[in-house]
Amino acid sequence: MDTATHMLRTGRQGPLFEVQMALRDLRASGERIDLAWSLAWHDVVSRYRGSILGPLWITLSMGLMILGIGVLWGELFRVPVQTFIPFVAVGIVFFGTVTTTINEGCETFVGAAGMLSQTALPMLTFVWRTVMRNLIYLAHHLVIVLGVLVYFGYWQSANYPIALLGLFFLVANIAWISLLVGIISARFRDIPQIVQSITQAAAIMTPVFWLPDRIPERYHLILDLNPFYHLLEAVRAPLLGKGVAPHTYLFLAGMAVVGWGLTFSLFSNTRRRIVHYL
Amino acid sequence: MKAPPVSISCRDLTLRFPVYGVDAKSLKKHLAKITVGGKLGRHHGSTDVTALSKLNLELKAGDRLGLIGHNGSGKTTLLRALSGAYEPDEGEIEVQGHIAALLDLNLGIDPTATGMDNIRLRGRIAGLSAKQVDERLPEIAEFSGLGPFLEMPVKTYSAGMQARLAFAAATAVEADVLLMDEWIAVGDADFQKIAHKRLLKLVERAGILVLASHDVELLRLYCNKVMRLEGGVASPVTDIKKLDELLAA
Repeated sequence: MDTATHMLRTGRQGPLFEVQMALRDLRASGERIDLAWSLAWHDVVSRYRGSILGPLWITLSMGLMILGIGVLWGELFRVPVQTFIPFVAVGIVFFGTVTTTINEGCETFVGAAGMLSQTALPMLTFVWRTVMRNLIYLAHHLVIVLGVLVYFGYWQSANYPIALLGLFFLVANIAWISLLVGIISARFRDIPQIVQSITQAAAIMTPVFWLPDRIPERYHLILDLNPFYHLLEAVRAPLLGKGVAPHTYLFLAGMAVVGWGLTFSLFSNTRRRIVHYL
Repeated sequence: MKAPPVSISCRDLTLRFPVYGVDAKSLKKHLAKITVGGKLGRHHGSTDVTALSKLNLELKAGDRLGLIGHNGSGKTTLLRALSGAYEPDEGEIEVQGHIAALLDLNLGIDPTATGMDNIRLRGRIAGLSAKQVDERLPEIAEFSGLGPFLEMPVKTYSAGMQARLAFAAATAVEADVLLMDEWIAVGDADFQKIAHKRLLKLVERAGILVLASHDVELLRLYCNKVMRLEGGVASPVTDIKKLDELLAA
């Protein structure tokens, strides 16, 4: 077997060089994307070893929550169950993916300390691992979404290609957020708690459990400036057979470009140091 | 294409280790410092420790280098730098060949997963495809000598069993450069014997071994060269026969 490899590590040679090295890390992690997948798969399998339902346990509890909230809150808000349950179901599933990917992003590097401190693996591999792991969970939860869409008759009016486009924007954004919180959490150990508080607050401020059209006009900034709302709406609206506002795409594209730009330059600057933070 | 021969070369390698105290790791304290207008500490509240300074090292195929030095003299740091995990602050490290690092026994092993799964994971990390790992599994399993225990979670293993697992998994990948911290001494006599054989095989294959140890006998057994580190400064590489002189120095 040809195992010949070459490794060259050099000292700092200016910011441009650091960006180059970060790009090289990105390329290397792309070439070994199957490794990230293996790690993600290993995470899922080993977390649920010895349980019967595996990750479907979360799906099950999510389903119960959707049923409870859908019926009870639908009654409280006086929204017919036929519209409220699909809304809540799609919302909880995709919002769950957003928040857990961000929350688990805090652990990306801290949790990989062992591997990072004795191998030359690309650092971004671990970011893809976190994202892919959550996409595997999402695939499980899609059972709920599909079931609800079929049961309540939304499956014919749903626009799947547009929803897929929304999912692309969603993943592109949560990936950089995940990397960002991963780096900061490695340096400052109190970040995960802060991140969790933020995602919790976001769950309340974002129309996951309540309908966006119920909000008074003067509070509309809560929707327009809320990144979580746009992330969610890009996927949820097409699945419920509604259109997505163009400014949502604009917001998400801008957020991805600016977010990746800033986060990647932070990554370039801290890449060498991350292993020492751990 | 013929691959270039296995080699390790460090040129003026300097590695500074920022030590982030518990204090430096809290964002609140970081912010508090800024708001009261105090001067930021050395490097944002962290202290730099120079772990290696101006280290030069040239190793070629067949070299078995023993690293000696007091605790904290930079042995492990050098191994980690050679593994590619730590990047130099100044200077260069160049390694030709496939690297396998056996540095910390517990790190990189998932204690809740079974032995088999850990071997798979290690193999994947070492650069094997899923198929290649599956092809080698029987051989690795046999070498580890763990038998039915491979189906048990690693957390149930003794330290010696973990050493067997890690060593078997790491050396199964045809590594050209093997970096080891001294934990190899954990296994029992049987294991020592087979590990010894495998190490010799590796060296026969014209690989490079870098072994950090306090155990003089172990170094004499495996190494043909020795280097002493003291406070991050390296002595010249000398023949193992001069180990006593080096220790006395």
